[in-house]
Amino acid sequence: MRRSDILKNKYLLIGLFMTGLGLLLGIVGLFWTPYDPAGMSAAERFAAPSLHHLFGTDNFGRDIFSRVMKGLSVTILIGMLVVLFSSVMGILLGALTGYFGGILDEIVMRITDALNGFPSILLALVLISIFGNGRQNVILALGLVFIPSYVRIVRSEFIRLRDADFIRRARLMGVGKLRILFVHILPNVFSVFWVSVMIGFNNAILAESGMSYLGIGVQPPDASLGKMLSDAQGYLQGAPWYALSAGLAIVWVVLGFALLSEGIQRMNKA
Amino acid sequence: MIKIENLSVAFDGTEVVKHVNLEVTDGEILGIVGESGSGKSVTALTLMGLVSDTATVTTGRILVDDCVLREAGKKVDKALYRTMQGDSMSMIFQEPMTSLNPTQKVGRQVEEMLKLHTVLEKEERKQKVLETFEAVGLKNAPTVYDSYPHQLSGGMRQRVMIAMAIILHPDLVVADEPTTALDVSIQNQIVSLLKEINTKENNSMIFITHDLNLARRICDRVAVMKDGLVVELGSTEDIFDHPKEAYTKNLIEAVPSRLKKRVSAMKERGKREPVVQVKDLSVYYLDGNGNPFAGKKKSEIVHNVSFDIYKGESLGLVGESGCGKTTLSKAILGIHGGYTGEIVHATVRPQMIFQDPYSSLNPAKTIGWLLQEPLRAQGRLDQSKAMTKADMETAAYDMLRKVGMEEKYFHRKPSQLSGGQRQRVSIGQALITRPGLIVADEPVSALDVTVQAQIMELMQKLQQEMELSYLFISHDINVVYHMCDRIMVMKEGRIVEIGETESVFRNPKDAYTALLLKDSL
Repeated sequence: MRRSDILKNKYLLIGLFMTGLGLLLGIVGLFWTPYDPAGMSAAERFAAPSLHHLFGTDNFGRDIFSRVMKGLSVTILIGMLVVLFSSVMGILLGALTGYFGGILDEIVMRITDALNGFPSILLALVLISIFGNGRQNVILALGLVFIPSYVRIVRSEFIRLRDADFIRRARLMGVGKLRILFVHILPNVFSVFWVSVMIGFNNAILAESGMSYLGIGVQPPDASLGKMLSDAQGYLQGAPWYALSAGLAIVWVVLGFALLSEGIQRMNKA
Repeated sequence: MIKIENLSVAFDGTEVVKHVNLEVTDGEILGIVGESGSGKSVTALTLMGLVSDTATVTTGRILVDDCVLREAGKKVDKALYRTMQGDSMSMIFQEPMTSLNPTQKVGRQVEEMLKLHTVLEKEERKQKVLETFEAVGLKNAPTVYDSYPHQLSGGMRQRVMIAMAIILHPDLVVADEPTTALDVSIQNQIVSLLKEINTKENNSMIFITHDLNLARRICDRVAVMKDGLVVELGSTEDIFDHPKEAYTKNLIEAVPSRLKKRVSAMKERGKREPVVQVKDLSVYYLDGNGNPFAGKKKSEIVHNVSFDIYKGESLGLVGESGCGKTTLSKAILGIHGGYTGEIVHATVRPQMIFQDPYSSLNPAKTIGWLLQEPLRAQGRLDQSKAMTKADMETAAYDMLRKVGMEEKYFHRKPSQLSGGQRQRVSIGQALITRPGLIVADEPVSALDVTVQAQIMELMQKLQQEMELSYLFISHDINVVYHMCDRIMVMKEGRIVEIGETESVFRNPKDAYTALLLKDSL
């Protein structure tokens, strides 16, 4: 890959910038924010954006910028953990079902069919109502909901590769089954898998925001972009910056990541 | 008359066809031969207006009967091309399976040519298609008309393709490797058919092939291409009997032929120690139609075969596709469990060399890793054979040298290697654990002739050095003649003949063997 190719790839550059900034704010937000994100101030309710409060303040006089930073870190962290959980499970199940087939394959595939039959948000809602609220449970619920999409992709790649000549040869050499699965086949699946991980990350962020918006995601006092959006609803006229900053933060991260993954795909193709 | 004048074609600034001058007159078959990457297909595709839009014609022009079809620096006249394509020029492709639409009946697909270019009525069109089917030797034309591509054999599909190409009696037919995907005997039928059509229709034909024997048989004149240049052009006799250029000589020299003297890699005869003994072997598949609840049907592919392979010899296994060659080899390798009878190995873990060098190496790994993996696997299975990391690396470097490759390839990935180089690595990977027996399934048929010759030489050299036995599977009788000490002929899952190569070739006992030998001459 040449440097000039990277510089020409606008998707990649813009995507890197947007994701980088979002990530930076989120990571810094873990340790430090300009104001205490939960610190209320009756004197400064609904302050418009200014140099003191970049994004203004909300109905309790809390600094929205600080809350966005905090919300970003929570949202991104949840997105990553969801993707991590569901993709690892997806790889395991997809590899086993794709390579061995048989009755295990039938069972797992019918379960994923059933899971695919429900809208994912609805399913996550049901799971939350079973598990109860809380950050871990949101991750678990969304993670479970997203497993089938990964299983399908990994499985179809394993089916394609299990009879490839180089895998036949590995079997002839006497390479063990687990090693064939995870050392010989898996690296060849990553290029396809990577794309779905990127899409999955965005879906997870949107799903988490949606759930928090509905009030069943992350619970106060944790800041969450989705929760902020629903709080801001009542003040759209008086303090439009409240809804705008929460909404734009979500758009920023999702769009940035989508551009980044598009850029990476184009780079791989070239 | 077709004239290509000073034609150069470039992709992204790299010229792949350089100043080519060719001419085909009516009733003539011009052969374009060359190895992969020589620019022969790009030349033909440019002529046909089928080359991709990323290609640019940088110099020269293409004339059809003095009408300029394409010229450097001018935009492609797509409308002009569309009136010509199919009507006055048509093309036959290599792979008859992918060149036909799998979801449509073949009759309809051929009829579409008439729909686009003629004003015939529906009934007349069908009649014409049926006539053309008969003309290209398709028996029972009405049934073929209503068949889908997958219901036809490879040879029949290629006949349908030919019917499609000639139904409008074009002035020019371009055939790009039309027989490469077919069995030898069918190859001959198709070639004769093309020759016959050419004589009858008095059209021009361009026949592109990497197979010099075929070119020799069918063409009136031959152009030899290399790296985008026409290195030699002349009548077929001149080219084959008195080649002027060194490259042409090399190319002709590299073609395995049974007119040349055979060199055997076997050290001494007489001492016959079997490495594998096969007794009354029948191999079957259990077919459950993918339904885990249904019972499985047993279908036998190989019926009751017995033979031995001796130490240091090459046993050739020939037969047409579907005769059970591959199934038999799988059973011998121990990767196919469904068999009755006896297979006794004197060696452990026989290895295999596959046909397609592009799919037989794991694309995610480096060459060094690939060469060491058999050693790692061996060490894991048998502690006494475990080697240290440094020893394995040394062994891998040794093997790399042995198969004639430089050390710098150790850290490269397969995608950075040519087909011949990949096949060398494949051979190295198979040999590194020093198995006594190697099953080589068409190891050279995907390679260019000159590379083919190099790989065969390498295999013979290694055979001598390491006292290997080969079970050499091929459809190319001449390659088998060149490589093997004994040959075994299979038909419909049975061995019809087995014997010393020389004697089988001189006087075949079985009628089928005689036919195979005749077809491949």
